[in-house]
Amino acid sequence: MRKSSTPIRRTLMNMIFLSSGVVLLVTSSAFCAYEFLTFRQSSIQQLQILGRAIASNSTAALAFENAEDAASILTAFKSDPHIVAAALYDIRGKVFATYPQELPLDRLPAQVGKGFSFSRSALIGFEPVAEGPKQLGFLYMESDLNAMYSRMELYALIGALVAALSLSLAFLISRRLQYRLLQPILALADTARAVAERHDYTVRAAPTGAYEFDLFTDTFNQMLTQIQESEDKLQAQVGRLNLLQHITRATGERQDLPSIFQVVLGSLEENLPIDFGCFLLHDPGAKTLSVAALGKKGIRFAESLSLLPNGSVPIDQNGLSRCVGGQLVYEPDVSQVAFPFPQRLSAAGLRSVVFAPLIVESQVFGVLVCARADGQAFSSRECEFLKQLSEHVALASHQARLYGALQQAYDDLRQSQHTVMQQERLRALGQMASGIAHDINNAISPVSLYTESLLEREPNLSERTRNYLTTIQRAIEDVARTVARMREFYRERDAQLTLERVEINRAVEQVVELTKPRWSDLPQARGAMVDLQSFLADPLPNIMGAEHEIRDALTNLIFNAVDAMPTGGTLSVRTRKATVADGETRVLIEVSDTGVGMDEDTRRRCLEPFYTTKGERGTGLGLAMVYGMIQRHSAELEIDSAPGKGTTVRLNFPAVTSSVVSQPKAKSAAVVKRPLRILLVDDDPLLIKSLQDTLQEDGHLVTATHGGHEGIEAFAAAAKRGECFDIVVTDLGMPHVDGRKVATSVKGVSPTTPVVLLTGWGQRLIATNDAPAHVDKVLAKPPRLHELRAALAELVA
Amino acid sequence: MALLRGKRWLLMGVVAGLIATQALGAADAPTENQVQAVFLFNFSRFVEWPPQAFAAPSDPFVIGIVGSDPFGARLDEAVHNEQINGHALIVRRFRSISEVDNCQILFIDRSEIARLGQILAALDHHSTLTVSQADGAAQRGVMIQFATENSRIRLRINVDSARAAGLTISSKLLRPAEIIGTDVKEQ
Repeated sequence: MRKSSTPIRRTLMNMIFLSSGVVLLVTSSAFCAYEFLTFRQSSIQQLQILGRAIASNSTAALAFENAEDAASILTAFKSDPHIVAAALYDIRGKVFATYPQELPLDRLPAQVGKGFSFSRSALIGFEPVAEGPKQLGFLYMESDLNAMYSRMELYALIGALVAALSLSLAFLISRRLQYRLLQPILALADTARAVAERHDYTVRAAPTGAYEFDLFTDTFNQMLTQIQESEDKLQAQVGRLNLLQHITRATGERQDLPSIFQVVLGSLEENLPIDFGCFLLHDPGAKTLSVAALGKKGIRFAESLSLLPNGSVPIDQNGLSRCVGGQLVYEPDVSQVAFPFPQRLSAAGLRSVVFAPLIVESQVFGVLVCARADGQAFSSRECEFLKQLSEHVALASHQARLYGALQQAYDDLRQSQHTVMQQERLRALGQMASGIAHDINNAISPVSLYTESLLEREPNLSERTRNYLTTIQRAIEDVARTVARMREFYRERDAQLTLERVEINRAVEQVVELTKPRWSDLPQARGAMVDLQSFLADPLPNIMGAEHEIRDALTNLIFNAVDAMPTGGTLSVRTRKATVADGETRVLIEVSDTGVGMDEDTRRRCLEPFYTTKGERGTGLGLAMVYGMIQRHSAELEIDSAPGKGTTVRLNFPAVTSSVVSQPKAKSAAVVKRPLRILLVDDDPLLIKSLQDTLQEDGHLVTATHGGHEGIEAFAAAAKRGECFDIVVTDLGMPHVDGRKVATSVKGVSPTTPVVLLTGWGQRLIATNDAPAHVDKVLAKPPRLHELRAALAELVA
Repeated sequence: MALLRGKRWLLMGVVAGLIATQALGAADAPTENQVQAVFLFNFSRFVEWPPQAFAAPSDPFVIGIVGSDPFGARLDEAVHNEQINGHALIVRRFRSISEVDNCQILFIDRSEIARLGQILAALDHHSTLTVSQADGAAQRGVMIQFATENSRIRLRINVDSARAAGLTISSKLLRPAEIIGTDVKEQ
């Protein structure tokens, strides 16, 4: 409000009073002026008339100088009380007679004047006195103006009364008129004040019945309506902005898609609001959209829409395809759209739908669906809002995905680090195991050689002695096999796979036996019972493969099965033959448990490297290794599992087509009859002694040397003497000069002399044909006498 | 300085004028005869003569004096260049009534009062205003008599005589005058 503003009522009153007052004043002034002028004029006329009469009468008095007569003539002025002085002058300008008679002469003008004139307080005039053409003298008259003044006073009094009356009337009338005129304006002003003070734009000015005011009021009301609409729009806009900010903040605090989707849907349902909302994720390959999240409020629609979590919606030629193309699609009335998905929405009771694309890097990866039960229910601003929101959500989703990927990469990195450490541990353990195996093999070699030699060469042994020796031999064999298996289990992986015939049943039995502590002892220790049942089909065709890999795979499967049954259960291992449609024969191995089973996600991912459900205990490599083995063997892997229903893993190998079931190991019975000159090279005195003894008993000439260096010198010296050795038997692992160097030196001196390598790693070298250069035969420790004889016979013959 | 000097000259002029006026006024103090001469002339204004008083329109308006002339040049001066209704004013002096011929105003000097009856008779049927300063002249038939009262000249008018001569005397003239009837004894 301006400080100096005056209420319109007072202004109007002032205007009316001012205008009336001015009119009255002007009228009165004009009237008075007129009266004044006319009064002066008439005064002059009256005085003139009177003067002329008197002058005419006084001619004779003047002409005949009768002063008394003249004075008596002048008394005629008594008729007019305002004449205060009069005088007759003779032609020479001398005062002849005065009125009143006692008038002092100095009261009269000394000089004779002419005509009439007003002084300050009197009207004075000279009238010539003449008889015919003869000028006789002058008549002087003086009339005071009291008459005029008293008259003017009367006029002023009347004027004041009239003005007061007029103004009172004007006041009364204008008050009455003002009320009619001002009432609508004041009412409007009250309305305006109410609007301004309360900010309530819903009030409206009432119509007044006067045309202009109604026009004015209507305009004012229209203005209010527009302001109210603008206010509402502004409020809605602010509300949406707040909502957007709220959602953006809420999504920013979350890093996984489902919770981002849920918080967005919850906010939209609560605050926009919408009746139904869901997020669909786009699968470009299948041309479908899968339901990623459903709003809680709209779940009843979802049920009648038969849109279930993880359900899918095909993209047909409707709004969805346009939306997947990157556009925001608004269907004001889906009942008018003939395509299936809109019809489903319509059938569920939804009329207006907005599909907002979720776009990241120009790719639509999902769709936000917002629907209301009413038709035409989304304004363009809301569509714009949803578009902006979908951009935010897309960004947040993208970030969540990136965060997820980062987390995944970080987890993978940690897993691989863990695995590397595990493998390092395994490698160290394997190396240690190899060393132990080597030492054991060396240690039992004399036992094995002497036992075999005694049983073979002493016919006079008592039955009891023979039995004991046989038991010792079997025990040594067992020890050797156990050591070999242990070494096999811990050995390093081969780069290349060498396929050989594998007897599956045997491998299964070995694994079952080897893993017994794991499926039998450990569960028992914590009070659980695992019942292992083997159903092995016999006969069963062999397969081509790497037995140790198959064993490892089976071991892993049994470990997994045991881990899946923390409270115990039944572990079944089956082998069987199967014939598929084209007549191909296949060998199946099944490992089943009755454990916790896997859900769909775990089942899908369980073959991934480093994927584990065992936490710290697992490497996530077990099934990955199995899968790698399966691929290398051109085999197939099937997994049947459901949560709570246990898991069955089925390995499916192609069988060997040949009918040969097993290759009998033909033991060479050939024995070298003639004595041979044999050079023994080893760093283990016990082994040298036992080998020397047994070979000398066969009649050979044996020269034993300790260590590679000594062996090479002895061979060179003998060659110099011309007494060359027929064969060299050397240990592989020796300090300073190992078996390979010995073999190289021997071949350098005498290329035709055979070299036999004895090794604690012998079995592996044999299996892989990885014989070092210049070595003609590799034999495993502990050396068997019959193998040694066969080798001698083969190489020297 | 120039203004001051101008004012001084003006002042000197006014003083000189005043002295001259005083001197003239003292020299011009009107005598009774002078006043009567003017009065005689003034009568021509307040009396109406019938048209037959003049034989011809060009006839002069004659103020006659019969007997000795008390006015001298004064009367001549008074009527000099004056006219009454287109008639030039002239003054004629008669030694006796017999000389009188057609005059509009006839002053009968006191010296002729003895022959008043004769004069009036001779003027009978003439429209001649008779004036005299002789005492009792009005009662004896003279139309206007100058009478001196308190050193003032008063008029005594015999209205009947005037009416008989066909003259109309203005009421204005009658007002300051004393109306006198003809004394029958005199006739």
